[in-house]
Amino acid sequence: MAGVWIFAENQEQSLELLNIGTDLAAQLETKLVSLLYYNHEMAQDHINHGADEVLLLPPLKGDQLLDAYIPTIISEAQKEEPDIFLLAGTIRGKEIAARIASGLETGLCSECIGLSLDQETGLVEMDRLVYGGAGVQKVVCSKRPQMATIPARTFEAVAEQGARQGQIRELLTPPQAPVKILERRPKDRKSQDIREARVVIGVGRGIEKQEDMVLAQQLAEVLGGEIGCTRPISEEMHWLSEDLCIGLSGISVKPELYIGVGISGQIQHVTGIRDAKVICAVNSDENAPIFEVADYGIVGNLYEVVPQLIKELKK
Amino acid sequence: MPNIVTCFKWVIDEAYIRTDSSGHLDFGSVDYKISDYDRNAIEEAVRLQEQYGGSVVAVTVGLPEATKGIKDALSRGPEKAYFIKDDSFKNLEPSQTASIMAEIINAQIEFDLIICGEGSSDLYAQQVGPRLAERLGIPSISFVQKLEIKDNQVIAERKIEDGVELISAPMPVLVTVLPDINSPRIPGLKDTLGASKKPVIEITRNDFSGNYEPFLQTKSITAASMERNCEKFTDSSEDIQRFIDALRKEGVIG
Repeated sequence: MAGVWIFAENQEQSLELLNIGTDLAAQLETKLVSLLYYNHEMAQDHINHGADEVLLLPPLKGDQLLDAYIPTIISEAQKEEPDIFLLAGTIRGKEIAARIASGLETGLCSECIGLSLDQETGLVEMDRLVYGGAGVQKVVCSKRPQMATIPARTFEAVAEQGARQGQIRELLTPPQAPVKILERRPKDRKSQDIREARVVIGVGRGIEKQEDMVLAQQLAEVLGGEIGCTRPISEEMHWLSEDLCIGLSGISVKPELYIGVGISGQIQHVTGIRDAKVICAVNSDENAPIFEVADYGIVGNLYEVVPQLIKELKK
Repeated sequence: MPNIVTCFKWVIDEAYIRTDSSGHLDFGSVDYKISDYDRNAIEEAVRLQEQYGGSVVAVTVGLPEATKGIKDALSRGPEKAYFIKDDSFKNLEPSQTASIMAEIINAQIEFDLIICGEGSSDLYAQQVGPRLAERLGIPSISFVQKLEIKDNQVIAERKIEDGVELISAPMPVLVTVLPDINSPRIPGLKDTLGASKKPVIEITRNDFSGNYEPFLQTKSITAASMERNCEKFTDSSEDIQRFIDALRKEGVIG
């Protein structure tokens, strides 16, 4: 038995994993299997996007978490023995991936940002960031399945391949898990937008007072962007919500333009902006590490530079 | 009254890692610390004990040199530490750390609640907590920002991408915590002195039976490079104009 398995929490992420999955399955001359729970009607759609087989996970009762699927997925994987198992690196996905890997006695590459098949060994070489983003660790997994969690938007969505034939099979209903959801509190939309924003202004401790945040806001407005921040701004100062904290332990942004205002450039934060197309920085310390990772940096007092920028950009 | 176990890792402080001129990571002048979020885990365990009673023990797996970490952890409030140590524990893979801890916790420690940080500051694989729960056959709740105990259940607020989930689970249970759950106290001189008097149970390679081979092999660790222009401007009005022109040329502003 063999195969490349994918599991995601929504269609967008499934399509991203189907992309890399199609590629790996073709190289290994094996089948691509999509595990689907969120909408069973998408099964044929997954097949049309490259899946050879769709395993349907039965719907869960309202108070159940994804964790309930763990025993079902483990026992199916023990039967089918996939070569590779990729899961979307969401909060829930990371937790169940670790538990599944433990149950299957195999290795898991967390937050894998790139992977490729070594033609000689047939092993998947997987890259991930370590030491707060300062290093890239390349790992291989000696057991099967070779597992990885993959952050959203690491790969593009796969293109539809037209009507294809594939198998659809329903898995057994999992037993009731002891963990229960008592309440779901959806977040207001505002804070989610920053990950999609075309321009992001990052705010750091160079901003002296909460009132001065208005400078960054005005700069964001004139550029049609959103504001994010470093961890001290959200965690210590509470000037912005935790959801706007950019960095390894916060969110990652991939805007066309990022401007760091009063940001020193600690690696933790920089990791969250590494995929920005253009990085700019305004900082009064010409030796601030942010300048080493910026395309364009202005050395100067942000209280003088930012108003000038706003004025010029308004023209 | 809950018996609480809190797990921590003694790690290289990443702030001291340098990249040398040839692009390699330089660990020459590093210092060590309790992994950032594990400090939140310890704090939360101690906070819950202050509120509900019970006990708090700290557990770590690492090199014998990590003694300083044990003292640091004990100065933050736990009454006892389990130090699982061996010279071979240099670069343990998450599956190994979890398996070793699971064996020792199962054999030697009474627990109702295990609290871990959401991930370590060095590898940040975020696996040890959930893997440990799976090995112990107990439920886990990850990424928790608020925690209480009620009628032998834990009630946890878990932060996910699109909001918050309020979750309950019967004890025994394992929870991994986010940095926003609390502000770890800074140990004072008295705490540090007191820590030296607390019991430390040392567990060596002979005290556990499992032979836990790594599942992942690290092929390399290289410096993460960011190829950027690194062009600097002054704050003169001419330079500000040049800066804006550069962004226009990149096509990132209108």
